[in-house]
Amino acid sequence: MLKQIAAVTRINLRSIPQRFWPSLSTVVAVALVVMVLLSFLAMSAGFRQTLASSGAEDVAIALRAGAQAEINSAITRDQVRLLEDAPGIARGPDGKPLVSAELYLIVDGIKRSTGTKANLPLRGIGEAGPALRKGVHVVAGRMFAPGSNEVVVGKSLLAEFSGFGLGRTVKFGTARWTVVGVFEADGSVFESEIWGDLPVVQSLFNRNNTFQTVRMKLDGPGALAALKAYSDHDPRLKLEVKSEKEYFSEQSSQTNDLIQKLGWPLAIAMAFGALAGALNTMYSSVASRAVEIATLRAIGFSGFPAFVGTLAESLVLAGIGGAIGAVATWLVFDGFTASTLGANFAQVVFSFRLTPATIGQGVVLALVVGLVGGLLPAIRAARMPIVKGLQG
Amino acid sequence: MNDGVLIAKNLFRKKLRAILMIVSILIAFAIFGVLAAFERAFNAGQEVSEDDRLVVVNKINFTQPLPISYFNRIAAVPGVRQVTYANWFGGYYQDPKNFTIVMAVEPATYLDITASDFAYDGAMRERFERTRTGALVGRQLAAKWGWKVGDRIPISSSIFQQKDGSHSWEVEIVGVFDKNKPQVDTNFMLIRWDYFDETRSFGKDTIGWLILKTDSPAINDRVSETIDKMFENSFYETATDTEKAFNKAFMAQLGNVALIVTLVVGAAFVTILMIVGNTMVMAVRERTREIAVLKTLGFSGARVLRLVLGETLLLALIGGGIGIAIAAAITASMRDSLSTFVPNLEVGPGIVLSAVGLMVALGLATGLVPAWNAFRLKIADGMGRG
Repeated sequence: MLKQIAAVTRINLRSIPQRFWPSLSTVVAVALVVMVLLSFLAMSAGFRQTLASSGAEDVAIALRAGAQAEINSAITRDQVRLLEDAPGIARGPDGKPLVSAELYLIVDGIKRSTGTKANLPLRGIGEAGPALRKGVHVVAGRMFAPGSNEVVVGKSLLAEFSGFGLGRTVKFGTARWTVVGVFEADGSVFESEIWGDLPVVQSLFNRNNTFQTVRMKLDGPGALAALKAYSDHDPRLKLEVKSEKEYFSEQSSQTNDLIQKLGWPLAIAMAFGALAGALNTMYSSVASRAVEIATLRAIGFSGFPAFVGTLAESLVLAGIGGAIGAVATWLVFDGFTASTLGANFAQVVFSFRLTPATIGQGVVLALVVGLVGGLLPAIRAARMPIVKGLQG
Repeated sequence: MNDGVLIAKNLFRKKLRAILMIVSILIAFAIFGVLAAFERAFNAGQEVSEDDRLVVVNKINFTQPLPISYFNRIAAVPGVRQVTYANWFGGYYQDPKNFTIVMAVEPATYLDITASDFAYDGAMRERFERTRTGALVGRQLAAKWGWKVGDRIPISSSIFQQKDGSHSWEVEIVGVFDKNKPQVDTNFMLIRWDYFDETRSFGKDTIGWLILKTDSPAINDRVSETIDKMFENSFYETATDTEKAFNKAFMAQLGNVALIVTLVVGAAFVTILMIVGNTMVMAVRERTREIAVLKTLGFSGARVLRLVLGETLLLALIGGGIGIAIAAAITASMRDSLSTFVPNLEVGPGIVLSAVGLMVALGLATGLVPAWNAFRLKIADGMGRG
């Protein structure tokens, strides 16, 4: 029996070139379906990765209750002072609490790919600001000097938008700022930002004594709960305190949902189209081999090998299509950078990421198309009456 | 038996095959319809924008404020027929999840300038100007929450705060307005800027942006230059642009929607082109002998060619027609839940028209090879084969 199956499968696969065009149409159809799915999944994975890598577990962020995003939040100087004395906050070697009160503004830049204006975040950060973020280091130039109207820009921002090259002077209102450095931050969302010294940003943007968020380094696992309780019990605070990680995962979920909600239904709809094609191809394959199948049956082969052979042919075609789709997506989209408006109303730069798990999903979809598309024709092949088949 | 009947009979001689082809075509057109509707909705802002309307924002970025004094200064610029201003409120109703578009506006001039888009009647206009805490609500938004004229509702802001620390403003609905253009949505609320400005805890005497109408689109450039020049080197520099350019730049920030739509629709169409094209080649090849018989009976080559092309056209039109109908149903079902983000999602006449064009192109493209084969077929060859 196994020998029969092997023999028929071999005949099936070897005869694929005789049905070159229909087989090719199945392969191309499946490849395109897989490409569409994988490019959406890669986009979603890249966006999620950028935001996920931005949030640290041991950093807490305080926002005005109900603000949801940094851009909407407002925190007063008194509140900042209260937070500096809060429990659970780690202190630096100099004994000062590791707290960075920040101001988040949006300024215009020009998106290189379209030449249109784009919202870019300008963040005034406190002294402890860079230390509160993972892997921040200056790759060109230097850090801004405290008290000066200098800014540093993230690497991704520099790549996607023009107007903020190293050494350039930018004018906001009456104030001129000099770009003195470029920084990396572990591929996080901060690489899409411009940073300046908080007091200078406050005064040159006429926002004296206003802050938007406070970031605080936590000193241990129980610290977040203690900090939350502290804020909840002081009527002067009543802020929304959460871990930075939690904050960013909330931020990523909206956009991510949208991408995924679009990607899967599209891919599934297209898979049905490809399925119709696969069924047609396989039915015609069975029809064109009717004489052959009937002959095999006449010399004693059972119907089962015919079933397996047809199914194998369908799976192989779909598998090839899936592989081509995955490779093509990888070649075209892996590492492809794009940017979109994030929850903070400013551009977030991210790279498409094609992970093995994503590729797995694409290949599974391809094989499902192959399986379903081969099943019915395979049953027909197995059940074909010998006499009718021999008549041709 | 006329050619039409012959075409239909040919198409459905193998029902399963015909149905499978129709399914793959309808899916491609359903995808086309839905994505085209999204793209159109995203770009609706450009379509409804009027040529003589300019938008003035802070040069640093449109989220930065401008001083209220600019209203009078801009009104005095030659060529400016009318001007108004507005401020983004960052609204939500009851829960921050219920994001609601709320703008604080100058009551009289704002309604004048947007009167071509929305139908404000005299009575609501008069009540809005008289009632300090008044709010005008679009029909769609009012229907969503069951609001009616006379209701007093609390509307919250995720950005601003009242002097007493509360984030919520109580407003009285003084009118529910409809739209004047099919491309716009009435999913927003207008409140009065003076009431908002007096009660908010920060940002006093500032506005978000100004909208103005010029005497004629021809002087747009001159007016925007004059305005931007006037405020140059001040603390609040301005950027003045046509409403259309402003909306276009804003949509471009979301990412390249048009490119994604083109790529996906392109992929779907290449797929069905391959599938249907191949299947039709096979279907016609199976009929070689039959076509030879038709030719023997005196059917000309051109007529046979027409028969085959007619068959693929019919196939494309059936599949495409159903597909577009499905797309219309899908967009209609998503319309209300998405209207805050993607206003006015629908499969409009323009989309249907381009879909029909695509159906014809697809029908001809898939029928080309088999029809040509049939056209050229010599009777003796056809009888001999098969």
